[in-house]
Amino acid sequence: MLGMSRAGLAERWTLFVGALLSVALGVALVQSSLLLLISAAGQSSDDAAVPMLGVVLGGSVFLAGFVISSTFAFTVDQRRRDLALLRLVGGSRGQVRRLLLGEALLLGLTGAGFGVPAGLGVMAVQTWLMRRFEFVPPGFTGEWRMWILGVSFGTGILLAVAGVLVAARRAARVRPLEALRESGAAARVMTAGRWVAGLFFFAGALALVIVAPHGGPAGGQAMAMNVAMPAAVAMVAFGPLLVPVLARLVPFGGGVLGSLARANVRDARRRSASVAAPLIVLVALVVGNTGAGSSFTASGVDELARSTHADFVVEAPVPAGAVPGVATVSAETALLADVTVGSGDERETTALDALVIDPRAYAAVHGTAVELSGRAVARGPGGEVPARGRVSVRLPGADLGQLPVVAAVPERMSGGASLLLPPGLVPAAALAQAPTRSFVALEPGADPAAVRAELARLGPVNTAGDWLRADAEQRSSTTNKVMLIVLGLGGLYALIGVINSIVIGAATRRREFAEARVTGLTRAQVVRSALLEAYAVTAAALVLGAVAASAAFFAVLATTSAVTGAATLDLPWPLFAAVAAIALTVTGATSLITSWSATRHPPVSLLAARE
Amino acid sequence: MTTMTMAPAAVALHGVSRVFGRGPAAVRAVDDVTLDFPRGGWTAVMGPSGSGKSTLLHCAAGLERVDGGRVLLGDTELTSAGDAELTALRRTRIGFVFQSFNLIGALTAEQNVALPLRLAGKRPSRSVVRATLDAVGLADRARHKPRELSGGQQQRVAIARAMVTGPEVLFADEPTGALDSTAARTVLDLLRAMADAGQSIVMVTHDPGAAARADAVVFLRDGRVVDRLAGADARGVADRLGAWER
Repeated sequence: MLGMSRAGLAERWTLFVGALLSVALGVALVQSSLLLLISAAGQSSDDAAVPMLGVVLGGSVFLAGFVISSTFAFTVDQRRRDLALLRLVGGSRGQVRRLLLGEALLLGLTGAGFGVPAGLGVMAVQTWLMRRFEFVPPGFTGEWRMWILGVSFGTGILLAVAGVLVAARRAARVRPLEALRESGAAARVMTAGRWVAGLFFFAGALALVIVAPHGGPAGGQAMAMNVAMPAAVAMVAFGPLLVPVLARLVPFGGGVLGSLARANVRDARRRSASVAAPLIVLVALVVGNTGAGSSFTASGVDELARSTHADFVVEAPVPAGAVPGVATVSAETALLADVTVGSGDERETTALDALVIDPRAYAAVHGTAVELSGRAVARGPGGEVPARGRVSVRLPGADLGQLPVVAAVPERMSGGASLLLPPGLVPAAALAQAPTRSFVALEPGADPAAVRAELARLGPVNTAGDWLRADAEQRSSTTNKVMLIVLGLGGLYALIGVINSIVIGAATRRREFAEARVTGLTRAQVVRSALLEAYAVTAAALVLGAVAASAAFFAVLATTSAVTGAATLDLPWPLFAAVAAIALTVTGATSLITSWSATRHPPVSLLAARE
Repeated sequence: MTTMTMAPAAVALHGVSRVFGRGPAAVRAVDDVTLDFPRGGWTAVMGPSGSGKSTLLHCAAGLERVDGGRVLLGDTELTSAGDAELTALRRTRIGFVFQSFNLIGALTAEQNVALPLRLAGKRPSRSVVRATLDAVGLADRARHKPRELSGGQQQRVAIARAMVTGPEVLFADEPTGALDSTAARTVLDLLRAMADAGQSIVMVTHDPGAAARADAVVFLRDGRVVDRLAGADARGVADRLGAWER
């Protein structure tokens, strides 16, 4: 059977180049993310790098699995007639399955062969991005590990074989009689598997939307950021039902080309759905995650602005009573503490931010009551420690021992310190080296300019408004950088998946195009009609991707409302517009090129030459 | 209705029906047909388009499920056979030839011919494959791919592929439908020679000239057998067909 696999590969090369490309790039992306994660964990770089690379790796595996399986399913779909023919001359179901698995094995191996060196290129780009955005120190490099060869080839083969398994089962059920029909009779639109997968992922997305508001700020954000993926998969599963319906709503104009395009979308439901699939995932991930990210940032900033009752922020300690006209000063010294929670097997030590505060001043400035006496500490707005109980705290150069946690301020969307410590607890030596920020509230009637001038002698001064804005900008720029690293290459990969499926779709349409031309359409008209069709499918995919993204936005609204009391949605519309423009440009250009190339021979030569 | 009883049947249909669609839109493509295709004979099935002749062939070959009745290949019941059994039958006891050749484009003529044997898990000897190709007059085209062959040559490769397993019955659905008259004659000569050598052939055609080369012609209309004819020439077949098409 492997011989047949090889012959099949050589013959239908356009289909297989697409499949090969999806495997190679998927392997490259997974390999690079894994190597960087291992390297970052080993080189103990910035704390933010490791979890972020974890997300990148997870996203890469998801995308690779998704793009590869949808590409493979599409190529198998396009070959129904060949496979039926094989059944007709005595091929058993098992043989059809083995043939397809054999091909997948070959493609997985070859794809990984290309993917390993390509992965080095991808790693260079990812490393550059991470260095550039200072997630890793300038000297950081991704290190090559010999065992990654095994992982990459394993990934390639596993993803390719897993990708084709479902399609192979379907294909093995192809009835031999289908070989006799001209176009390999349209496959059933919605299979049981699609219903099951669609409902399963829909339920998953729904569960996340429902649970997210109860997950607190950190858990809620994490869940909301993960809604788009299952929602997108659900949309893709229902694609054959939804894509043609939506695509038909696109105004084609009344002309003959419009009605031809409309008929094609309706007729080739599975092809339309296959082309739309990677686009739906791309749009859902980019729009959903950037929208959720920027909304959470905006929500955190709003929350901070509402709860901060200060006029100036000074990046230095301001002694109470040192400056006339100042009513309250909350001087807050930030320390990094190793906090141990639990006991026995449950013991867990984490490095957390701690803030040394004056409880009364803190309460006045941040609008939340904190009562601390003796050695008691409180859980800060960053959470991560129990609200009641005992924690062991070690500061650089000072072991504070076990401390009772007696209070908790509400957790904030924008995070913050996890522990609030009273001033007497920390040795002066440890405090002296730590940065202190002072929130200053003025007495009524005080002259802000005069006070500011006085404060400026102690350290850099900002109005609270300016400080909040700068803080917000820094937060959102961090969010944007993370998004760029997490989504950038993944998005590019999904985009290649889109191009792939259009090319595969067009490769098998030469005959259809030729038939249209002998019916009287000019070459330009055939190309225009294919373009209209591509635009309709793209528009449908954009809508479905946006629907999946809105599921994430529901989770965002519910979570921000639960955490801050104000439901917040702040969407980067220019980015969304750019995504839509890129999607339309890429699908349009690919459709133009492929249909132009598929019609380059005179139609008669195609219709006359029959296998 | 009389039953042909010249020889034990290669394929026998007993009250076979096949219905497409349901309710008022239902079409009885094959309607209670009882028919024997004799062993060692060449039977042509004719009828106007839509008369159900292709469906009848598909049912007889076990390619199409029947809604009623029984189909027997020799003494093997096809109607109750599962997929694995039907697949095994296609490898060993049934051969197919179609209007559109249906060769696998990626494989050479030789490889196409060897395919059924390889699917059956046998290692076909080159000489057997060559001999089969030689029998259809294409020994010198063994290494050509289908697209490098003319229509008539492709159809002869398809016949070689169907014959390489030594099937009990060869089913042919419009085997000359896509060929010019010269190529068609070559193919019909080939089938005639095979029938003379004792091969059972069931052929659907709309061409009276092709039907006249068979030993017997069965006429179908609206899914029912309406007439039969033995030993007629092309004119005779055409006249009879014309009568039923009116």
